[in-house]
Amino acid sequence: MQRILDIALNDLRIIFKDRSIWINLVILPIVISVAVGYANGAGFTGGGTVSLRVDGFDADASAMSAQFLDAVRAGNANLVLCPMDQTEADLCQLGDEALTAELAQTRLEDKVSLATLEIPSGFGAALARGEAVSVIYRSNEDATAPSYILQAVQSAATRLSGAQIAVQVGGQVADSLSFLQFSDDADRAAFLEEIRGRAAAGWAADLITVETVQAALDPATTQTSGGGFAQSIPGIASMYVMFTVLPAASAFILERKNWTLQRLATLPISRAQILGGKLLARFVMGMIQYAVLFGFGALALGVTFGSQPLTMLPVMIAYTACVTALALALTTFITTDMQAQGITLFMSLTLAPLGGAWWPLEIVPEWMRVIGHVSPIAWAMDAYREIIFYGGGIGDVIVPIAVLLAATAALFAIGVARFRFSK
Amino acid sequence: MLPDPRETVLVRLARAIRQRCADHKGDASMQETLVQVRGLSKQFKRDNGETFFAVKDVTLEIRRGEIFSLLGPNGAGKTTTISMISGLLTPTQGDALIGGNSITKNPLAAKKMLGVVPQEIALYPTLSARQNLQFFGKMHGLGGKELDRAVDEVLDLIDLGDRDRDKVDNFSGGMKRRVNIGIGMLHKPQLIYMDEPTVGIDPQNRRRILDTVLRLRDELKMTVLYTSHLMEEVQEISDRVGIIDHGQMIALGTVGELIQKVGEEDRLIFKVGEQPVAEALLRRIESEAATATRARYERREIANSDAGALATAEGILTVYATRGRKALPDIIRLADESSLDILSVEVREPDLEAVFLHLTGRALRD
Ligand SMILES: Nc1ncnc2c1ncn2[C@@H]1O[C@H](COP(=O)(O)OP(=O)(O)OP(=O)(O)O)[C@@H](O)[C@H]1O
Ligand SMILES: [Mg+2]
Repeated sequence: MQRILDIALNDLRIIFKDRSIWINLVILPIVISVAVGYANGAGFTGGGTVSLRVDGFDADASAMSAQFLDAVRAGNANLVLCPMDQTEADLCQLGDEALTAELAQTRLEDKVSLATLEIPSGFGAALARGEAVSVIYRSNEDATAPSYILQAVQSAATRLSGAQIAVQVGGQVADSLSFLQFSDDADRAAFLEEIRGRAAAGWAADLITVETVQAALDPATTQTSGGGFAQSIPGIASMYVMFTVLPAASAFILERKNWTLQRLATLPISRAQILGGKLLARFVMGMIQYAVLFGFGALALGVTFGSQPLTMLPVMIAYTACVTALALALTTFITTDMQAQGITLFMSLTLAPLGGAWWPLEIVPEWMRVIGHVSPIAWAMDAYREIIFYGGGIGDVIVPIAVLLAATAALFAIGVARFRFSK
Repeated sequence: MLPDPRETVLVRLARAIRQRCADHKGDASMQETLVQVRGLSKQFKRDNGETFFAVKDVTLEIRRGEIFSLLGPNGAGKTTTISMISGLLTPTQGDALIGGNSITKNPLAAKKMLGVVPQEIALYPTLSARQNLQFFGKMHGLGGKELDRAVDEVLDLIDLGDRDRDKVDNFSGGMKRRVNIGIGMLHKPQLIYMDEPTVGIDPQNRRRILDTVLRLRDELKMTVLYTSHLMEEVQEISDRVGIIDHGQMIALGTVGELIQKVGEEDRLIFKVGEQPVAEALLRRIESEAATATRARYERREIANSDAGALATAEGILTVYATRGRKALPDIIRLADESSLDILSVEVREPDLEAVFLHLTGRALRD
């Protein structure tokens, strides 16, 4: 183990001897993630924070409605319910004003809030009787509200009262979407009936039933579901982890040319130790890259990492391990430094946008989303978005982590089997 | 320059005494086999896909405390052999035992006894000499004070004590080579492989390297496997020599033993430029020049890039004689009688070059 650490430290020392590493490790990724963050709608949340303001009217003010609102908050760590979550720093931007229906409407139009949520009086009582009750969810006319707010509401509704409430919300959502024009009441009723049917079926399958409504959304209306910096920081960070880790291929070629790799092979250390040390160094570089960007995102851009931020760590580890194994596997298919640099750039620049590093995969067509999942970035981003936007815990990201680790094992096996110390 | 005949005798005598002494001094330890190479072969693929043996069925033993040299022209298979017995390349066939440990079956134990100086300069260019030494020292299991002391000692030995913190990239070729050598002996191995350590080095530095190699044997009691394509240095430092050509061991023994193979004849080399040499003259030299046994004429085309397409030729007349100095006046007279202008003369006492020529019909270097 000591030898592995010594080799890793030596490699890190060599990497950091080159001062230009700081440009790639810090300056460029920060500049790019800020730029991409704005492109993804970061400016929208004002001042670069990603607090998602939702005006709420709790006419019921019952234990049940409070529970519902809590469930909504739990669904997304960045959600700020106004005026309930007002802070001294005026996070709600309400000043001294009380929230009225008219004010809420203006705030929605001015994009001060992203959505309004109305819990009718009698909500708790109706639920208690097992009767249908509707929660009214309104978003901007142009539907710029990020879909994850809606999702937070929907999942809260679903969690709280099952299919019945889900259908109600779905109906209200349908109403709030201006482009869903119903020719008459019968048309609307038929639509709702379809939702009810699907919702019931979905609930039986233990799914979030209202998603059927969402699927009908025009992709254009969810353009800004990116979430600005909260999307760009993990996206660009994951891309830069590739930029930082994949040059391992170049480094291996160079060490073979310098004959230092061959010299290592004549030393009384095993090949596993040599490879282990070299890959560990690259893995650490990847983790440093993540730390730099996530640190910057948290400290300078106010990005928060959901309600269970520690869940980020296993995702970071699984993804970086996967890219490290990819670097090793790639090394065994190339012989020159030119090829190494070419393939590193090609891989990063195709896998990044494909995997949703530049924009959220939610805005691309289904088939592209499927193809995109050949990129490890797609799996990492699935997990990061789950954590950041929906407050997911380890249980919610276990699938992407498992996929990344499986890919790591496969790529590593290919790499180790094919790796040669001398040309 | 013609060597003094007495010197020739002295040199031979000295060599014989040294050999005797070495044999004597070593006694048990000298006889002990440290490295045993058995039937080692390596097959490679050429770019066009066909396979060939870079090393074929090489068998040799290296005894504790000796300098054993592999002598052979470029591409003979020296580096490939060293690579296999240092655990870098897997042999196609055969094995090597180092201190009884198989390099293929128990590589870590075998490699522990070993220091390797590769033919290539195997250093991290952006690190300093000290950092390079420290890193490879750690890989040999050195640490703490012991490592610092070993690094300082080696820096001293390779005369880079004052440049130890400079980037290796900024060193001259010779300085890099010295660091390259230093790493191989950092952990004071019992056995050190040095693959052409003097290649591309000026005579002064080459001298220093050869002296270092001799000190490794004489003062530090190390065993050295040395490779080179330069017969002078091999002849000077080696206890025993293996001559390798086209991947095969074609001769093996002490320098004295190898020279005996060619019948200990002196070789007289006459350069005659573009002039032809008649067969009749060769026969006359063989029969009339004192102690001469054979005479050969060889004409070599010298492509002259300055002269464009014009190629000049160099004729070389080689005469073997048991007493070169005695034959010389006769040959010059005979040449004179045939109106052959001799441009230069060189008298070589029997050396490894002659052995190689004798065995392969080719010169060791061209
Ligand atoms: N990895 C390889 N693949 C194919 N051929 C190789 C490889 N390594 C060496 N060879 C060939 O094997 C032969 C022996 O090479 P080797 O390097 O052992 O010679 P050498 O005696 O060390 O020569 P030199 O004095 O030039 O260093 C050469 O023909 C060389 O081209
Ligand atoms: Mg060689």
